[in-house]
Amino acid sequence: MLIVKVGGSLGIDYDAVCDDMAALVKAGEQLVLIHGGSAQTNAVAEALGHPPQFVTSPSGYTSRLTDRRTLEIFQMVYCGQMNKGIVERLQQRGVNALGLSGMDGRLWQGPRKQAIKVVENGRTRILRDTYTGIVETVNTNLITSLLTSGYTPVLTPPALSAAGEAINVDGDRAAAATAVALHADTLIILSNVPGVLQTFPDEASLIPAIQLNDLETMAEAYAHGRMRIKLLAASEALHAGVRRVIIGDARSQRPIRRALEGQGTTIA
Amino acid sequence: MTTVICVECDGELEMTDDVLVGEIVECPDCGVELEVTSVSPLTIELAPEVEEDWGE
Repeated sequence: MLIVKVGGSLGIDYDAVCDDMAALVKAGEQLVLIHGGSAQTNAVAEALGHPPQFVTSPSGYTSRLTDRRTLEIFQMVYCGQMNKGIVERLQQRGVNALGLSGMDGRLWQGPRKQAIKVVENGRTRILRDTYTGIVETVNTNLITSLLTSGYTPVLTPPALSAAGEAINVDGDRAAAATAVALHADTLIILSNVPGVLQTFPDEASLIPAIQLNDLETMAEAYAHGRMRIKLLAASEALHAGVRRVIIGDARSQRPIRRALEGQGTTIA
Repeated sequence: MTTVICVECDGELEMTDDVLVGEIVECPDCGVELEVTSVSPLTIELAPEVEEDWGE
């Protein structure tokens, strides 16, 4: 079984991702796709007069500040436009895709954070009333029953809190939790860069392979922005039993198979 | 500058006038993290132990 996460940044070729998925599914591969939608969420939020805001944690991780209105816009885009757009593409290619958010059937559950710590202009603050959290449990029965019935699951945040609230969770880490829960051999994380770059944004400086033992040091030295969370997700997946994580490029043809052939950054 | 008393060790903290609600300050005496819960009047409480925000 293969778990593929495709991000939501500008430049991602979703047609190419779906072409590749269709080829793999027709060849008998069981696939679960998890997707993002950040760029489109930003655009819709701007259009609706509620511009996106991002916060930075004390360790330098950036994430979306999710108030209730932001969460509603997030759901419109992730669960609506993005999820159904991918399902439509897959159906056009003969794949019986079925789109679900992490809330549906309690697919992804975890705690909502009561407070978050952020750094603004060098000052650390506590923010409350945000709708963020992490995935702690995955409804594997639901996913495997879909797979055994011939469906290809297409999954997206938000997840569900214990109190039944929608919570914004990081898609890369949700994909890692899903790969672990399903005992997947490989997790592929696709985005709009070729992989981990030694000197961002120089794409010729791609680091082709990272040993798990070196991951923390390499992340500290070379990962910037959202790549830091991808490497955190990779670390979580690998330490919990996934054999390899490949960070690949979703901007051109055959992105999944190219990643499996070794193009990108393979972490094991 | 305004002086407040640390709720943990009773030490004195000097706070600048532009301090923000929710801001975390560290007690110079005992090192505990304190959260500014109000600026008028200026009040502080022990800061909650919270994880970093790693949402999307």
